[in-house]
Amino acid sequence: MALTILCVSFTLLLLLGVPVAFSIGLSSLATLLFEDLPLAVGFQQMISGMNPFSFLAIPFFIFAGEIMMYGGIAEKIVDFAKSIVGHVRGGLGMSNVLACTLFGGVSGSPVADVSAMGAVLIPQMKKEGYDADYAVNVTTHASLVGALMPTSHNLIIFALAASGKVSIAALILAGIVPAIVLTLCNLAAAYAVAVKRGYPAGTFPGWAVVGHSFAQSLPGLLIVVIIIVGILSGAFTATESASVAVVWALFLAVMVYKKLTREQFLKAACKAVKSTGAVLLLIGISSMFGYLIGLYGVAELTGKMLADISATPWVIFLCVNVILFVLGTFLDMAATILICTPIFLPICQQMGMSTEQFGIVMLINCALGLNTPPVGTTQFVGCTIGEVSVGTVMKTIWPFYGGLIAALMLVTYVPAFSMWLPNLILK
Amino acid sequence: MYTRFCAVLARLCLKLGVLGLMLLVLAVLYQVIGRYVLNDTPTWAESGAVLLVLYVTMLGMAVGVRDAGHIGLESLLVLAPDTVRLKMELLIHGLVTIFGFVMAYNCAVLAQSVWGYNIPTLGISEAFKYAPPAIAGGLIVLFSIEHIIALLNNNEVEPSWH
Repeated sequence: MALTILCVSFTLLLLLGVPVAFSIGLSSLATLLFEDLPLAVGFQQMISGMNPFSFLAIPFFIFAGEIMMYGGIAEKIVDFAKSIVGHVRGGLGMSNVLACTLFGGVSGSPVADVSAMGAVLIPQMKKEGYDADYAVNVTTHASLVGALMPTSHNLIIFALAASGKVSIAALILAGIVPAIVLTLCNLAAAYAVAVKRGYPAGTFPGWAVVGHSFAQSLPGLLIVVIIIVGILSGAFTATESASVAVVWALFLAVMVYKKLTREQFLKAACKAVKSTGAVLLLIGISSMFGYLIGLYGVAELTGKMLADISATPWVIFLCVNVILFVLGTFLDMAATILICTPIFLPICQQMGMSTEQFGIVMLINCALGLNTPPVGTTQFVGCTIGEVSVGTVMKTIWPFYGGLIAALMLVTYVPAFSMWLPNLILK
Repeated sequence: MYTRFCAVLARLCLKLGVLGLMLLVLAVLYQVIGRYVLNDTPTWAESGAVLLVLYVTMLGMAVGVRDAGHIGLESLLVLAPDTVRLKMELLIHGLVTIFGFVMAYNCAVLAQSVWGYNIPTLGISEAFKYAPPAIAGGLIVLFSIEHIIALLNNNEVEPSWH
């Protein structure tokens, strides 16, 4: 009965339009009241859930991403990407994919990626005769790679949701090959559509231009190197490397690219404070929810339900993927990770999937959700920039969806895609 | 008058949040510098940062309530006719107000109950851990009431910082 109250009240509040964090909090409080437990227990869970030091990497990654967005790195990355693939058929589309991937590595956030890259590339693509729906689809799909990059705060959220069953270093390494696979799938989709629609090819600017644009964008791209090398060498913890990333981003934006004004800095800091509030509240409140989920054995119940459907791992993985994808279309990325990890991680582990692999599968599903209505945040941002309706974009989304689903299936069913690099470096 | 008060309060919260975020970066950097340069890792830096992030989070979260910074599922709201939507929005803000009140009250009780215990590495009361959610709960109540008043007057709340 208590579990029914928890699930039904959560669903009703969510459908009503109550923000996700408050829906989780109110349904948990209603359940505690029904169980005659003191409400303070819930808030105690919330605060203790917000206590780990590794949490601090989240506001730092968000802040570094915001600074990078305003700091002038976006234009340099676009120039570099154009110099490499701009001469291929549909060159601007291909450049867009590469630029979004590189900026995703810098910002770690699909939404920041689509805002920064989309603002530069979507109007440019439209001006050069590319259809708006193509420009938006290329940008929004390419930006999703940011969720798998070392600067992604969602990786840290997953590591926390997995209750310390995974090291952040292993998780960061596990995301690199899938990110490359995702980029290749995006490039293939962008190229196929470009050929079908007869988009033009640019001209190769020469290796001197490639070298110059690379040198210009290199300081920004170094942020990924700082994080990976810092963590893997043991010099920094994830939180410390994130704080170094903030300082590096500030240094570049103010001293090297000289683009960040005082007003923009304050805007970036305010956005970071508000995003931190929204994300960490969700994490804290999910601890309250997680406490109740643990109390009622929801993971075991779901495991039994899935076992009734099939005992074959590939069928279970398919079911989990479908559930994660559907939830990802309704819920914010952090909420999906925090609610679903304690339920589905033990089931997938029983079926032989490693925690790192599950984390990457989870992130790709959530990323797909970011590009799907009704709560497709990156898609909304892309459509707003491209001045095109979600409906129009959805009509021609399939080649890009196909690429993402192909990448998801590879990562789900071939563990080597996510586990090869962590096994190679950490073991 | 009430809206102006809330706007000033929200801007103050954001300014404090930004200051907190800067201090957080500095505290963690100082930890790195202490370890590698001064050869003396400061014990207060880690626990201080963990405490400080609670303040930044709670301030950001409260301002998020005022500036509609929390993500929700709005499909039904968008599809609903105007009169029903108004009632739904009033109900949503009412529910958030209740949550804020319950959080403020319970976290204040928790703060009071641990007043006599200290955080070991900082030497300050454990109550400082529960003070931010208690304050944020109060702020949520104030900001949600502002939304309710604005809705009843057919107005919208202007975000504190664009």
